[in-house]
Amino acid sequence: MASVTTNGQDQDPVSLFETHRRQMIRDRMVVNVTLGVVFLGFLLWSLWISRFTPDRLAAGLPRIFEYFGSVMPSLQWDVLFDSRNEAGRFPPGSIGYWYNDFWKYLRLIWETILMALTATILATGLAVALSFIAARNCTPFPWAGALARRFLEFCRGVPEILFALILVFAVGIGPLAGVLAITIHATGALGKLFSEVNENASMRPVDGIKAVGGSWFEQMRYGILPQVLPNFTSYALWRFEINVRASAVVGFVGAGGIGAELSHTISFFSDDRVTAVLLLVVLTVTAIDLLSERVRHRLIGKESLR
Amino acid sequence: MLEFKGLTKQFNSTVAVKPATFTIPDGQMVGIIGRSGAGKSTLLRMINRLNEPSGGQMLFQKRDITALKGRDLRQWRNECAMVFQQFNLVGRLNVITNVMSGRLFHHGFATSMLGVFSAKERAFAIRALDRLGMAHVALQQTDTLSGGQMQRVAIARALVQEPRVMLADEPIASLDPLNAKVVMDALRAINQEDGLTVICNLHTLDTARQYCDRIIGMQDGVIVFDGTPKELTDKAARDIYGAEAEEAFSEAMTSTALKPSAPAQPEVRVVN
Repeated sequence: MASVTTNGQDQDPVSLFETHRRQMIRDRMVVNVTLGVVFLGFLLWSLWISRFTPDRLAAGLPRIFEYFGSVMPSLQWDVLFDSRNEAGRFPPGSIGYWYNDFWKYLRLIWETILMALTATILATGLAVALSFIAARNCTPFPWAGALARRFLEFCRGVPEILFALILVFAVGIGPLAGVLAITIHATGALGKLFSEVNENASMRPVDGIKAVGGSWFEQMRYGILPQVLPNFTSYALWRFEINVRASAVVGFVGAGGIGAELSHTISFFSDDRVTAVLLLVVLTVTAIDLLSERVRHRLIGKESLR
Repeated sequence: MLEFKGLTKQFNSTVAVKPATFTIPDGQMVGIIGRSGAGKSTLLRMINRLNEPSGGQMLFQKRDITALKGRDLRQWRNECAMVFQQFNLVGRLNVITNVMSGRLFHHGFATSMLGVFSAKERAFAIRALDRLGMAHVALQQTDTLSGGQMQRVAIARALVQEPRVMLADEPIASLDPLNAKVVMDALRAINQEDGLTVICNLHTLDTARQYCDRIIGMQDGVIVFDGTPKELTDKAARDIYGAEAEEAFSEAMTSTALKPSAPAQPEVRVVN
C-alpha cells in the first residue's frame, strides 16, 4: 500500500511541483512574447499604410464637425411651431420649413422597411432550406453539403452594396434590385447561422424518425426543425434589424429606399435636408432595434425557462 | 421468421459483431444480454439498418433485408419498429404528434411537411396511447414528461406503425424499477396479445429471465449462449458477463423484480 502514497523517487512533492510550474511559465512566456511582437508589428504596419498620424487626426477631426455645422438646421424659437403663411409656405427657421418634404421621407422610410421585411422573409426561407443541406450532421450527401457551404460563403462574402450595383444594371433602378441584393447577402449569413444551430441539435429524434421509416425530409421536418425553430426565429429577427440598415444604404446605388434621397441631398444640397433625412433614419433604425430586441429576448427567455 | 446468416459488423479495425447465424420464429420474445460493449446494440440496430452490416445476410419471411434500398428500406423500418434507451422522441412536439409520426411512412410529401394528420390517424394514436395508460397527456409537450412516461409514448409510436417486429434497445436502462416493470409488462403484453416478435436488449439478467421466451447471450461480439431462461444457469450467466458477473447479479436485485413482500403499489401508473 505504501507505493500508492509515495512518488517512488523520494522527492519533495512541493519542490517537484514548483520546478514544473516554473518550466511551464517559461514556456508560456516565449509564446506570449512572440505573439505580442507579431501583434505590434501588424499594428505599426496598418498605421503606416493608413497614415494614421496625430497631426492628420488633429487636422481632420474638426472638419467632420464643420460639415455637420454646415448641414445643421437654423431653427428659430419664435417661429419654430408656425404653420404655413398666406403664401402657403413655412417661414424659414420653423420645423415645417426644415421638414418640408416630411411625407416624402416617411414614404421612403416605409419603403425601406418593407424592402428589409421582404428580403428577410425570402432570405429566411432560402436559408432554412439550405441550412439542412449545409449542416454536416444533416446533409443527405457530403458533396451537396460542401457545395451548399461554398455557395453560402459566396453569398455572405460579397457585400450587398456590390450585389445591388450589379442588380441595378440587371433589373433596373428601384426597390426590386435592393430587395434581391439584400436577400442574397442575408441568405448567406442566415444559412451559416442556421446550419450551425442544426449542427448543435440532438440527433436522437432524427434516429427515432428514421426508425419509423421517415424520409430525409421527414427526418429534418420532425427530428430537427422543432428543436431549432426558436433559434431560427430569433436569428431571423436579428437579421431584420441588420437588413433595415442595409436597405437604407443600397439606395445610394439606386436600389430603392431612403438611401437614394440621402445620397441626393448630400451630393446636391448639403444643407439641413441631410440632417432631416439622417435623423429620421437613425430614429427608425433605433426603434426597430429596440422592438426586435424585446421580441427576441422574450422568445429566448421563454426557452430558457423550460 | 427472421433469419441471420453470418451477419457481421466491423468498425475500422474492431469487429463489433462477429458473423452471427441464428433464426427467430414469429411471435417470439427474445432477450439479448451481455456486458456493455458486447455488440448487443450494434446487432439490434443492424436489424432495421440504422447500422449498416459489413457482411452476411438477414432474411425476413425470405425477403433479403440487407439488400433493401430507398423506399423499400423505409418500408422495412416501418414494419420493424424500434424503442430506444433514450426514447428518441421529439421533445418540443406534443405527445400525440410524436405518436402520429409513427404513420409518416404512409404519408405523401405535402401532408408530412405540413404536419397534417387525419382524424382516423388521431384516433388510432389515442387508442395506442390509451392502451399504455397515457391518453391523458396527449396534448402535453413531450419534454415535460418523466422518463417512464416518455418510454410508454415511444412504445405507442412504435405501435401505430402496425409493425410485425418490435426492437427494443435497452428500453429500461434509464428508468427506475417501477417504470421499468411497467414498460416490460407493456412489451410482453404486445408480444402476447398482438403476436409481435419482440427483440429486446437488456442489461439485467432477471428481467430477461422473467419476460423472455428465449435468451441470447453475447460476449465480445460473439453469441455465447442461445436458449430458454431455464437453460441459463448461473454458470452460463457468469460466462457471459465474465468479470462483471457480480455487478450484473447485484443489479438484478434492483431492476424489474419488485419484491412481493414490498408494500403493495396502489396502481402501476405514474401521474405527475
